[in-house]
Amino acid sequence: MQPDHLIAVADFCIYHHIEVSFVHLLEQQGLVEIITIEQSTYVQPEQLGRLEKLVRLHQDLSIHPEDLDVVFGLVERLEELQGQLQQLQNRLFFYEQLER
Amino acid sequence: MDFVDYYAVLGVPKTASDDDIKKAYRKLARKLHPDLNPNDPEASKKFQQLNEANEVLSDPEKRKKYDQYGKDWQHAEQFEEARRQQQQSRQQYARSDAGDYDFSDGFGGADFSDFLSSMFGQEGGFRGGRQTTFRGQDYQAELQLTLRDAYTTHKQTMTVDGKNIRITVPAGIENGQKIKLAGYGSPGVNGGPNGDLYITFVIADDSRYKRKDNDLYVNEEIDLYTALLGGEKVIETLDGKVKVTVPPETQNGAKVRLKGKGFPVYKKEGSFGDLYVQWQIKLPTNLTDEQKELFRKLASM
Repeated sequence: MQPDHLIAVADFCIYHHIEVSFVHLLEQQGLVEIITIEQSTYVQPEQLGRLEKLVRLHQDLSIHPEDLDVVFGLVERLEELQGQLQQLQNRLFFYEQLER
Repeated sequence: MDFVDYYAVLGVPKTASDDDIKKAYRKLARKLHPDLNPNDPEASKKFQQLNEANEVLSDPEKRKKYDQYGKDWQHAEQFEEARRQQQQSRQQYARSDAGDYDFSDGFGGADFSDFLSSMFGQEGGFRGGRQTTFRGQDYQAELQLTLRDAYTTHKQTMTVDGKNIRITVPAGIENGQKIKLAGYGSPGVNGGPNGDLYITFVIADDSRYKRKDNDLYVNEEIDLYTALLGGEKVIETLDGKVKVTVPPETQNGAKVRLKGKGFPVYKKEGSFGDLYVQWQIKLPTNLTDEQKELFRKLASM
């Protein structure tokens, strides 16, 4: 029986028109976590946003599962840098105010 | 609604082959894909336009129709109708509206999807296929706060998707900071979970307090005599009024630090930054003859 909060990988794959093996490949790459209960596989809802992003990158841009790891790492780094940039902008704004 | 030049969107000439179009699309898709451009609404918009352009130009039938009606796109449906009925109205349409469209505005944006569906009807409309989700879509929202709002933990009500949401804004939030409200995005489909709501806080500039991380800075005026001889000055802080001692011979621009009178530290209750007060010495004006004489005396001592 499917626990309430989990998403069945099979349902997910039907919806997105992808092979179940693709999701398992992502798991092997360490990109998503899969939970196995009584021979059925599930993902946690919190993982779903990440998983759908991976599917889109694969479907839209033909990025291979092996390369998704690298792409993902770079996007995460980009988001981190955007955060740092925002903080630096706030600081710069402070010093600009002092000069006024 | 303006005419949308799909060739310009893809950056190819009208004579481009199917292969050229495919190549141009792939190249731009890699550049503009929303998942590769986090927090960039401009890229998302352009990506959608790119998909629309590709949808039309990569389909021989749609491309033909698009090329055929070109600038008179608004009347494309009427044209067909007219031709079917073999009426003469055709020439009229072509003449009356020619030249009224802005071709340079290829990335105009707002009317993009409207343009597509008006030309190809409902079924030709952008399928939205690029962003299909099982889980509901995430929402992005922006909330404007004053610096004084951000000083205390408080509730804010915002409307998302027609529903009112009451959120608690923790004290000490920073300009540009983003918080996630799980499950407050759009509903999922086929039993998928809801998306999340991301709120970006925009904190307006305050006329009195300047913020640097958790510290605040204010300028305070003191008169020449207080600066020279010392004294006291009552200072307004976000935490109430404080009496500050001005030491004798205080220099213009000197700073005093009031510990714990700055901004609250985000999610660290009871922890505060400092308040820096910078003294601005105000020199007396409109001196009387007697005062001038006394200053001359001082100057010659």
